[in-house]
Amino acid sequence: MSIQKNKARIIFHIDMNCFYASVEMAYNTDLKGKPVAIAGNPEERKGIIVTSSYEARAKGVKTTMPLWQARKLCPNLIVMRPNFERYRAASNEIFRMLFQITPYVEPVSIDEGYMDVTEVEGNPVELAYRIQNDIMNNLDIPCSIGIAPNKFLAKMASDMKKPLGITILRKRDIEKKLWPLPVEEMYGVGSKTAEKLRAMDVKTIKDLAYKDEYMLKQAFGINGQRLKSRANGKDLRPVDPDAVHDFKSIGSSQTLPHDTTDEKEIFHLIDVLSDNVERRLKRKEAAGRSIQLMIRYHDRKTITRSKKLPSYIEYKEDIKNTALELWTKNWNTEPVRLIGVTVQDVIEKKNLAEQLDLFTYEKEEKKDKLYSTIQQLSNKYGKETFKKLNNEEEKDSEFLRTSFQKDFLDDFRK
Amino acid sequence: MKFVIQRNQLIASVQDVMKAISSRTAIPILTGIKIDARNHGITLTGSDSDISIESYIPAEEEEMVYVEEITEGSIVLQAKYFSEIVRKLPEQTVEIEADSNLQVTIRSGKAEFNLNGQDAEEYPHLPKLQTDNSLELPTAVLKSMIKQTVFAVSTMETRPILTGVNVTLKDNKLLFTATDSHRLAVREMNIETVNMEEINVVIPGKSLNELNKILDDTDENVEISVTNNQVLFRAKHLNFLSRILDGNYPETSRLIPDQSKTTIHVKTKELLNTIDRASLLAKEEHNNVVRLTTKGNDLVEIIGNSPEIGKVTEEIAVSSIEGEELKISFSSKYMMDALKAMEADEVKIDFTGAMRPFIIRPEHDGSILQLILPVRTY
Repeated sequence: MSIQKNKARIIFHIDMNCFYASVEMAYNTDLKGKPVAIAGNPEERKGIIVTSSYEARAKGVKTTMPLWQARKLCPNLIVMRPNFERYRAASNEIFRMLFQITPYVEPVSIDEGYMDVTEVEGNPVELAYRIQNDIMNNLDIPCSIGIAPNKFLAKMASDMKKPLGITILRKRDIEKKLWPLPVEEMYGVGSKTAEKLRAMDVKTIKDLAYKDEYMLKQAFGINGQRLKSRANGKDLRPVDPDAVHDFKSIGSSQTLPHDTTDEKEIFHLIDVLSDNVERRLKRKEAAGRSIQLMIRYHDRKTITRSKKLPSYIEYKEDIKNTALELWTKNWNTEPVRLIGVTVQDVIEKKNLAEQLDLFTYEKEEKKDKLYSTIQQLSNKYGKETFKKLNNEEEKDSEFLRTSFQKDFLDDFRK
Repeated sequence: MKFVIQRNQLIASVQDVMKAISSRTAIPILTGIKIDARNHGITLTGSDSDISIESYIPAEEEEMVYVEEITEGSIVLQAKYFSEIVRKLPEQTVEIEADSNLQVTIRSGKAEFNLNGQDAEEYPHLPKLQTDNSLELPTAVLKSMIKQTVFAVSTMETRPILTGVNVTLKDNKLLFTATDSHRLAVREMNIETVNMEEINVVIPGKSLNELNKILDDTDENVEISVTNNQVLFRAKHLNFLSRILDGNYPETSRLIPDQSKTTIHVKTKELLNTIDRASLLAKEEHNNVVRLTTKGNDLVEIIGNSPEIGKVTEEIAVSSIEGEELKISFSSKYMMDALKAMEADEVKIDFTGAMRPFIIRPEHDGSILQLILPVRTY
């Protein structure tokens, strides 16, 4: 799908407000008006707030805040474990509604996405209200919508009024609406970047828009130029419905409950992470050819080391063994806070041809009959007829993985 | 040692023995060529300890004189320099003389080279093979048996035994088998008179490749003799000695299916050209995979596809298709290698299922078989 260029575009950024909390409230209306938080693992230190309702936020509860701290700020906080299947179902329903309006929908994560509505007939502002109302009426989930000529401005706009906001951000509004904002509120500027920018005397988005391009490029490379042009309201990225198909790496990382030098504990964590990665590869029906190990030490110093393999791998044992090899080679014996295992050079298995082996094909062949039956039935009834089961479909009890937010995109990949 | 030799004969012999010489060898003297002068002729020897080649130049043959003024003796010369020098000498005759201090003088016309030689006594002795246990084969037949199988040996050292060609002789049947575990090439030959017991050896693919290069396409016979760890190929004026690989070659005959679900009869050249075209868009990183689909009973569709480059589709009319409909993916390279080995205008391909091996044979010749394992695409 390609979109005609050289024409003023109308882009929506649709952002679900407190998505997980909103879904829970829609499920159980008793929760409405109460401070609700969704947290990973309530028992351990690593239990952090994933999202919370506006009522909780009013008391100072913030995303990524440790649970104990949130409870201190808001003693009557209702803490729930995530119910991923609910969120996934709600999200699917929302995107299904959006896709009915136009094929140019680009899901970005489970609770936000872009739409290019340039070709959609009718008044775009009315359309935005209609989308917002439909989602509210059908699913009881509030969202904010930003309307702008490009993705960046739409994203900034949807952030300006929450919940249930609809904000129009035209190029000519930039000076008044965008430039006064502190630079860290700009999409694409993280805390590290903001820190560096402030050191360069860039405090607002306006400062960034006027900052010398050469200096920015020196400090941030190509990203510096990109940030400057975004600050000037320029963003040429099209809304790409196929963007969800691109993934180059699949990883899983976890903070330890305490800093440790106990290799037994670390081996166990690498085992768990490799297991996660295997499950996610399976979900995507993909395989990868390099393994990257990330080690964050007690002093936040972080290293990543990777190894390229001669062939594509997909199974836990292979992932784990390579990760352990990297660990043994690279650990400097200092206490470790976080470990991450990532498979890179990932491709979908349907693009991967597996040469069968003369000495093992008979074993493979036993699965052959099953495969051909699946093939025949799939040809007849469509590709979705059969899917390999993941032994444990995302269980609610699993501790939270940030990756879930991206994995949900798989639902759009078929 | 001294002799005067015809340069063309010397060049040809040096080229042959150079095939066995490697510049990287654990035994320094093996970077040299050994020259033995005897009254009946000159023998050159090159070796890398896996392969050893002896080339003989008779003093006289069929009333032609190749070597004169012979004083017997032996010397070893640096192969790299000696071969270059011989190639570039100005005249048709070459005089080579070694003194007792291992100093060698090479004269041709007005050119004179002085080289430091090495003592031939230090050159390893090649094993002497008994020749009463041997097998004779026309050179052209041996060469074609090598060509039809050796390309299928493995290039990976993970299973060293598969880097060789399994040569067996049983019940008057000589069999060459090679496999890299993804494809299998088998060529058989009936031998009428054998004065040899059964044999079952694995000869390194590299040795056979070199042997094939050295042997001329003649009607003369090659004599093959085997001992425990060496095999000797003796042709006219040439001895080619190779190491044999240790270990048991896997039993492959039971892996060759004997039934067929789909059979395609097709012109070799046409299929080869079609696969060749499809392979243009079936590149390395995708295992060179092409897909074959039967269409009715006389059409086959071949597709090559690289999502980031493009796609090629071609239909090819075949003589006939029997059996079930079929869709199968395989390496275009393996298919092309197999078809090139056919030496027949028309081939028969027996398929036994999309995930099972298929077999290519000449239409009217059971002596050669190429088996290929397909590729599973998801």
